[in-house]
Amino acid sequence: MLMEGKITLKAPIQKVWDTLLDPKTLLSCIPGAEKIERIDERTYDCVVKQKVGPISVKFKFKSTLTKVEPPTHLEVEGEGEDIAKAGHFVQKSVVDLRETSSGEVEVHYKTDATVVGKLAMFGDRIMKAKAKKVEEEFTGALQEKLKSAI
Amino acid sequence: MKDFEYFAPKTVEESLSLLSQYKGDAKIIAGGQSMLVVMRQGLLAPEYVIDIKNLPGLDYITYDEKEGLKIGALTTHRAIEKSPIIQKHFKVLGEMETALATIQTRNWGTIGGNLCHGDPAGDPALVLIVLNANLKVKSLSGERIVAMEKFSKDMLEVDLGPDEILVEVQVPVPRPRTGTAHEKLMMMHGDSGIVGAAVSVTLGPGDGVCEDARIAISNVATIPWRAREAEKVLIGKTINDALWIEAGQAASEGVEPTEDVHASVEYRKEMVKVFVKRAGRKALERAKQG
Repeated sequence: MLMEGKITLKAPIQKVWDTLLDPKTLLSCIPGAEKIERIDERTYDCVVKQKVGPISVKFKFKSTLTKVEPPTHLEVEGEGEDIAKAGHFVQKSVVDLRETSSGEVEVHYKTDATVVGKLAMFGDRIMKAKAKKVEEEFTGALQEKLKSAI
Repeated sequence: MKDFEYFAPKTVEESLSLLSQYKGDAKIIAGGQSMLVVMRQGLLAPEYVIDIKNLPGLDYITYDEKEGLKIGALTTHRAIEKSPIIQKHFKVLGEMETALATIQTRNWGTIGGNLCHGDPAGDPALVLIVLNANLKVKSLSGERIVAMEKFSKDMLEVDLGPDEILVEVQVPVPRPRTGTAHEKLMMMHGDSGIVGAAVSVTLGPGDGVCEDARIAISNVATIPWRAREAEKVLIGKTINDALWIEAGQAASEGVEPTEDVHASVEYRKEMVKVFVKRAGRKALERAKQG
């Protein structure tokens, strides 16, 4: 499942970068996030709950920053599973930040997530629809966060 | 499948009391043709299951020229398909039900169960949206009416509180010179639609100009999707094939489907054009016949 997009933020690039890597920001911006803790410099421990109608899943996973080039390039890899064993997933994301001439920051992101297990076999359609929504909510919340942080 | 406690209440009131007692931990089962599948898959694990399938008094189909059509929420798909009332006044509902699923599912599944499952790939919601239907919902504190179009909230989520039960589907008498049709793309007859379209067209007296059009499409969004831009293409004009192509195009531009094993995003968008046109032509023919 590939998700790709671009958001434009009105904020200094360093600010955007810092906000993106702050566990507190992530916790408040990722829909359904219950826990995001920094274990060390590069690793985050996360619990994210998602609900689709009556179906709910709770993902417990570790995210590792595999490539960090502040303040323009970031690569993240994550792996985890649903606590009720409905599925296991791996995810890779690449985020690029670029300052535009008008003083804005363009954030390009590309995420490739692979889910296996019951969730993938039976819930493929549901999951994809939800992923789109989560993505929209996350980018929306991040924009708001940056606006209020400036 | 996880263990659950099973209740089979004898009246609507008893069911509502159970619901209000267990709130979000209970799930209503009304045939179970959608819900049992999700439970078997381990994706849904309710603590309490309240089986209302055999509740008396919610299995009926009535019609009169003033009140329109009323279908009890526990009426099976097969009963709707076979009903002389439906065949006489709402042929499109019968046709939709015939292609809804396998005969076993149609024999046991109920219209209310289907609507409350809230699957955007489902057929009844589409047809009921273009027929301008309303739903009657009941709780211990009273009844309320919600438009079918507003009932779907999100993927598998409908406007139904944890203490409410859907009791009736109400379809108004269509205006004169209205035609309605439903078509869907399926691998085999009775499959869930890869894409489906329901179209309703109302023509003006004499001149044949389209006075009103309603188009709904399945499996292209998280809810049954109303193609308002496509409707605008038709309203106020004399409909011909070129206009159907234009309407299909408008509908296709508005949808945001996801890909799955059955079809890619591009294919679904292309099929929206085809099926809006296909259902549209049929609806128009019926409108012309009165």
